[in-house]
Amino acid sequence: MGPMSSLQGAIGAAGRAGVQWSTSWWHVVRVGALVLVLALSPSTYLATNRRALLHHLYVGTAPLVAWFAVLSALISLVLIRIVIVTAASYGLGQYALEMVIRVLVLELIPLTAALFVALRCTVPSGAELSRMHARGDLVRLQARGIDPVRHELMPRVVTGIFAVGLLAALSCLIALFIAYLSLYGLSLGAFAGFTRVVGQIFEPGVMMILALKTLLFSLAVSLIPVGALLRGPRPDTTRTSAALDSLVRMFLAILLIEVASLIGNYT
Amino acid sequence: MSPPDRDPPPPAPPPDVDTPFSVKHVEAKASLLLLALLLMVLGAVAYLAYARGAFEPTQTLVLVSDDSEGVVVGMDLTFAGFAIGRVKRIELAPDGNARVLVDVPLKDAHWLRESSIFTLVRGVVGNTNIRAYSGVLTDPPLPDGAVRTVLRGDTAAEIPKLLAQARELLQNLNAMTASDSSLSNSFGNVQALTDKLKGPGGGLGVLLGSDAEAKKLLATLERTNSLLARLDTLAVKADAQVFGKDGVMPHANASVQQLNALLADARASLKKADAVLDDAKTISGNAKSATADLGSLRAQVEASLRNVDALILEVNRKWPFARDTEVKLP
Repeated sequence: MGPMSSLQGAIGAAGRAGVQWSTSWWHVVRVGALVLVLALSPSTYLATNRRALLHHLYVGTAPLVAWFAVLSALISLVLIRIVIVTAASYGLGQYALEMVIRVLVLELIPLTAALFVALRCTVPSGAELSRMHARGDLVRLQARGIDPVRHELMPRVVTGIFAVGLLAALSCLIALFIAYLSLYGLSLGAFAGFTRVVGQIFEPGVMMILALKTLLFSLAVSLIPVGALLRGPRPDTTRTSAALDSLVRMFLAILLIEVASLIGNYT
Repeated sequence: MSPPDRDPPPPAPPPDVDTPFSVKHVEAKASLLLLALLLMVLGAVAYLAYARGAFEPTQTLVLVSDDSEGVVVGMDLTFAGFAIGRVKRIELAPDGNARVLVDVPLKDAHWLRESSIFTLVRGVVGNTNIRAYSGVLTDPPLPDGAVRTVLRGDTAAEIPKLLAQARELLQNLNAMTASDSSLSNSFGNVQALTDKLKGPGGGLGVLLGSDAEAKKLLATLERTNSLLARLDTLAVKADAQVFGKDGVMPHANASVQQLNALLADARASLKKADAVLDDAKTISGNAKSATADLGSLRAQVEASLRNVDALILEVNRKWPFARDTEVKLP
C-alpha cells in the first residue's frame, strides 16, 4: 500500500501543479483580454483615467530611454565591429551589413528591449501592484468609486507595451546609424547602396515577423508580471517565489516567441 | 529592478486621484513620447517602402533560364557593378523553363538595350548574380515586358571537374613520392652520390665509375708529374748542349759564316762561268754561220758530182766496149 499511496500522491501533486500552471496562464490571458477591452472602450480615456495612463506611460518609459539608448549604442558598436572585422577577415565584407542588420535589428534588439523593459519597468511595477493589492489599496480605491483596473492595472500594461515598442524602435535606429558609420564613415555616398541592402532584407514577411515579435514580446513582459495579481495571494507561496515564478514564466514566453520568429525568418 | 522580496515593504502612500501627479506637464511629455514612437514607426515604414522601390515607376523584364537555382526574390540585377533592377517574382513556365521577373526602375532602364546580354552566374561561395551587359548603347532601348534568355555560368559545376583533376594530380604526386618510386630512388642515388663526394677522391670516383679507376688516374698523374720533371731536366741539358758555350749553335754560326764565304766564292765562279758561256755563245754563232756556208758548198759539190756522173754516162755510151745492157728472157 505504501508505494501505491506514494504514486497516488505524486500523480496528485503533478495534477495540482498542472492545474496551477494552466490557471496562471489563464490569468495572464484574462488580463490581456481585459486590457484589450478596456483599451478599446472610450470610457477608459476619460480625463482621470487618461491622466493616470499618461502618468504611468511617462514615468515608466522616460527614465529608461536615455540609459537604454546608451546601452544599446555600446552593445551595437561592439557587435557591429566584431561582425564587420570578422566578415572582412573572411573576405566577405560585402555581406557584413546584411549580417549586422539581421543579427542586431531583427533578432537582438527587440529581445534586449523586451528584457530591459521587463527588468526595469514591468516586473517592479507588477510587484508594486501586488503590494498594493496585499495592502488593500485597490479595495480602498474601489470604495472611492475609482476602478482600480482602469486606474492602476491597465496603465501599467500599456506602459510596458509602449516602452518595448519605443525602445526597440529607438535602438534599431541607433544600430542602423552606427552600422552605416562603421561601414562607410561620414560619407553620404553609400546611402543608396545601404538603402538597397536594407530594402532587400526587410521583405514584407520579415517586417511582419519583426512587428509581430516585438508586439508579442511587449505583451509577454507586460502581462505576465501583472497576471499574478488576478490570481491573488496564495497561502503556500511567498512573494519571492511568486515573483520568480512570473519571471520564469516570462522568460519562457520570450524564448518561445524568439524561437518561433527564428523559425519564421530562416526556414 | 527593485527586489520583490524586500521585507518589510516600504509603506507606499495610498494612491489618491485627486492629488496632482508629481511630474509637471506629464500629459504633454507623455504625448511627446507617443508622438516620437509614432514618428519612428511611420518613418521606418516609409523608409522601408522607399528602400524596396515602392515609389519608383518600373518596367518589367522577363529572364528565361532552364534553372533558377540560387535566384531569390529581391536580389539585384546589376549592370557594371551597379544594381539597376530587382527580382520581383520567379515562376515556372509551361515549357519547364524558369521565368525570372525583374523590376527595372525607369530611370535605370536606359542601360538595357535590345542587344543587351543577361547572365546568371553562381559563385563558389554559393552567391548568385544576375548581370546585364550592353555592348552597343546606341541600340533601341529594351521595351517593357521584354523576354530574354539568360546565359548561365556555374562556378560550382566546375568544382567536381577540378577536383577530379586535382585527385589525378595528387595520385601522380603520390606515385612520384612513394618510397619505391623512381623519384625516390633517384634521390637515394643522389644521396649516395653526395655521400661518396664527401669522401676522399669522391669526385674522381664518381666521374670514373669506381675507386680503382680513380686510383689508376692518380697514379697516372703521379707518373706524368715525374715524367715532366725528367723532361724538365732533359730540357735543361739540351739547352746547355744546344746553346751552351760548346753547344751546337755556336758551331752552327761558324759553319754559316764559312758557308757565306763559300757562297761568295761560288758567286765569283759563276761569274766566270758566265763569261765562258758568253764565249761559247759567240763560238756557236760562228759555227752556225759556217754550217750555212757548208750547205751551199755541199749543193755545189752535189751539182758538180751530178755533172761528172752525166759525163761518165755519156762517155760510156759512146765508148766501143760498152757493156751489154740488154736483158735476155729465158
